[in-house]
Amino acid sequence: MANPMEQFEIRTLHPLDAMGYDVSFTNSSLWMLVAMVSIAAFLFIGTARPQLVPSRWQAAVEYMYEFVQKMLDENVGADGRRFVPLVFSIFVFVLACNLLGLLPWIGAFTPTSHVAVTLGLAAIVFAVVCIVGFARHGLHFFSLFWPKDANILLGAFVFLIEFISFLSRPFTLAIRLFANMTAGHVLLKVFGTFVVALGSFQALPYVFGVLPLAVNVALTALELLIAVVQAYVFALLTSIYLNDAVNLH
Amino acid sequence: MPQFDFATFVPQLAWLTAFFAILYFGIVRFTLPKLGRVMTAREDQVTGDIATAERAKAEADNIQAAYDEGIAEARERARATLADSKAQVGRSVEARLAAAGEEVDARLKTAEAALEQARAKAMTSIESIAAEASADIVERFTGKRPTPSVAAKAAKAAVAAH
Repeated sequence: MANPMEQFEIRTLHPLDAMGYDVSFTNSSLWMLVAMVSIAAFLFIGTARPQLVPSRWQAAVEYMYEFVQKMLDENVGADGRRFVPLVFSIFVFVLACNLLGLLPWIGAFTPTSHVAVTLGLAAIVFAVVCIVGFARHGLHFFSLFWPKDANILLGAFVFLIEFISFLSRPFTLAIRLFANMTAGHVLLKVFGTFVVALGSFQALPYVFGVLPLAVNVALTALELLIAVVQAYVFALLTSIYLNDAVNLH
Repeated sequence: MPQFDFATFVPQLAWLTAFFAILYFGIVRFTLPKLGRVMTAREDQVTGDIATAERAKAEADNIQAAYDEGIAEARERARATLADSKAQVGRSVEARLAAAGEEVDARLKTAEAALEQARAKAMTSIESIAAEASADIVERFTGKRPTPSVAAKAAKAAVAAH
């Protein structure tokens, strides 16, 4: 049986070196590029000639734009409009990486199944939250961790817990996405090997491969759902964290 | 797990940073504001259209009210005119009836007067005929004819006593 982890292997396509650091163009880089180009095509076609009565492409882009805008309106409020481009970028990038990785093709790769990529995205979110928080509130930003109407001892204890939870946010954000993507692809691969193993039963060829194949079809639908939901969750948590930075509760 | 091969972190993060920067600054910040402007313009147009429609409706309501008022006024006027002319007709009929009644009265009076005259005339002719006849009767009985004045007197007295 093929190793289900093999699909996550990073393969160097073009070795590169910048100031002593290895920045080789890998299959992960390639699929991030594919995701970026797909998004660029989607956005440039959709906004080529913006009209009051939108074309189909424009309506599609507008739908996503309004989706993100509504999410920020609900979670952050009026000040959230400034972060629409950022949250939109994160949402579509994660969504594109998740969906493109589900292409049933041997060369397909999911950059978001790697903790490096998800951690990088989470770091961007964390950095923006810290910058916005300190820029708007200065050191008052720390009052985010302080419980209201608590005595000093309990307050200090809660402050410590809240602070640690705040610092762990980028890791939970990164691991949630990476784990979901990895688990889904492992599951698909495991059932894929079942198809081959059971289908090649000598006495009754193909017959027993049908069942794991059907499971794989169902799993693909589930993984499509998870790909969308995880992109949504990532964007939603980003806007919730931004709300903390903008409004301090 | 290849995910925890830390040697691959640097190239992945480097390309992620590059692509995400291009995506954010070069694509999203370049295209989304165009769409945002169009969406705002659309919203403005829709709210403007709604306001225009509301104004038109208010205007239509005003016209309707003015029309209703005009209709009611015209109806009132027509009713007043009708009552007026009815009263006028009534008055003129009364006047003509009164005039006709007077004329009838006058003619009645002249007719009565003529009748009275004729009656008086007839009375006197009856008296003379009676005097003549009684004179004839007296002459037959007595053979002597009374004078006309005596006969007339006696006839007059008889007629009056009758």
